[in-house]
Amino acid sequence: MTLLGLPIETALVVFGFPLFWIAYTIVFLIRTRHWERDDAADDETR
Amino acid sequence: MSTTVIVFLVLYYVVVLGIGYWAARRGAGENLEGYLLGGRNVGPMTTALTLQSTTMSGYMFLGAGGLGFAQGYWALWYAVGDIGGGVLNLSVIGRRMRKLSQMLGALTSIEYLEKRYPSPAIRLIGGTLTVFLLGFYVLAQLIAGGKGMALVTGMPYPVALAIAVLVILIYTFMGGYLAVAYTDFFQSLIMLVGVVWIMSAALAELGGPTAAHAQIAAVDPTLLTMWGKDLGFEGQWGVVAGALLIFSVGYMGWPHVVTRHMAMTRPATARRAGAWATLWNLFFVPTPYVLGVLAVVILPGLADPEMAIFEIAVKLLPAAVTGLVMAAIMAAIMSTADSLLLQTGSIASRDLYERFINPKATEKQMVAVSRGLVLIIAVIGYAVALVEPPTVFSIVVFATTVLGSAFLPAYVCAVWWRRANTPGALASIVAGATVAFVWEANGLVDSTQLHPMLAGVTTSTIAMVVVSLLTQRSSPVPPHILDAMTESDRVGPIPERFLRAADSSLAPAASEVAHALREEVRNDQR
Repeated sequence: MTLLGLPIETALVVFGFPLFWIAYTIVFLIRTRHWERDDAADDETR
Repeated sequence: MSTTVIVFLVLYYVVVLGIGYWAARRGAGENLEGYLLGGRNVGPMTTALTLQSTTMSGYMFLGAGGLGFAQGYWALWYAVGDIGGGVLNLSVIGRRMRKLSQMLGALTSIEYLEKRYPSPAIRLIGGTLTVFLLGFYVLAQLIAGGKGMALVTGMPYPVALAIAVLVILIYTFMGGYLAVAYTDFFQSLIMLVGVVWIMSAALAELGGPTAAHAQIAAVDPTLLTMWGKDLGFEGQWGVVAGALLIFSVGYMGWPHVVTRHMAMTRPATARRAGAWATLWNLFFVPTPYVLGVLAVVILPGLADPEMAIFEIAVKLLPAAVTGLVMAAIMAAIMSTADSLLLQTGSIASRDLYERFINPKATEKQMVAVSRGLVLIIAVIGYAVALVEPPTVFSIVVFATTVLGSAFLPAYVCAVWWRRANTPGALASIVAGATVAFVWEANGLVDSTQLHPMLAGVTTSTIAMVVVSLLTQRSSPVPPHILDAMTESDRVGPIPERFLRAADSSLAPAASEVAHALREEVRNDQR
């Protein structure tokens, strides 16, 4: 079994890790929305 | 030598010099914080792209391509960790380090360690180690630049090398960190266009990915596995883990990279910078490795695997595009070399010269010392690069492995672990660097099947935890640092009392900078 001519194990690593990092980034963005409070406060002092 | 290639290269150099000049005109070189941290005024996209282009370096065009050519898809273990390196770094330490470094009044990443783990020994050992390793890392960039330019333009290697070094020096001198950050931004875009263009040409030549992989399988099917040529790494999970770690969590231990956190406009810049970093990495990072694999069928019998990407560009692309691609390759090399030179000069001047040799140094003296050291390192690097030492891959992996092993727990625990103290950090830096160095120097990977990065980071982490816990009574973390850590955890503005307290702990020159900045803020508010 292959994907784009790659063995399935290779394809899982090559495409699976990037998908994991995309998910990590999305979760990071969602869970840190409140960080913008740092910005708002910083704007006041500027 | 193609005239078109030279026109593109000259055009590229003119643009980066123009950006450096513009950054200098913005006042980046007027004071120490401006020179070293761009006045802590660098936005999310620029933060992300300077972070990524600095970490990518000439390694991506020489080392990564060479590894792909030699070991096939096994090389992608490095890439799949690397893709998340930027967002991991920014999410774990970015915001906290930005706040803590400001509250502790630190202008360099090594000074930050001394402020967090109060001891001159931290600064002396950390500074010396960093200057040595970053100098070594610069060397790899110079070799990569010289080799690449010599191949594409046909110039003699010493001339090509001299031109690359000269341009890097000029724009690093002109604007300090801000010039480096903005040229990195521009160069990261050129790098992306360059690799995507070569990849398109390579896939078109081979009839698409499926046909390309079929042709590689016909040469050697083991190159398509994740276990290397002839399955040489089969079951070696210790080596795989190290390859995954080195460019993912390893970034958090690189002093020239974590400086990017300290220079962000705001602590929350880390958030959007993380998203930009992932987006850029997804397209850029795996490409040079895969190009190296494709070179197996495009360039059978290639003598120097590290020249795979250059050779593909020269073979498949028209001269005008080769010029652009060459600019991209030089961009990768130069964007790392300038950052390394600036950081090495900064750490040597502020963390070693001012701290241990001339504590009353003025800002002008320190900028002069930093620039003088940059010049010396570039000259020494040029001389050593002429005699062609080891491969770019081996130099980069050596320098980054020792740096990551030495500093990773120190930087991460600085913001996350309240019990991380000075003896723990010292033990961690010394043990991590020593183990990684010994592992690399003695080739222990083969006998232990453990990557030096894994051995080094494991050792430095254990040293940090064990020594910190054993010395809690004799060396407690000072209360003002614990307060600052609590504050860095909290989302919101930094209270004035922390900024006042930071003043008293600053060196005279930095205090002047802090005072001048506050005056500037007051003037802006009026």
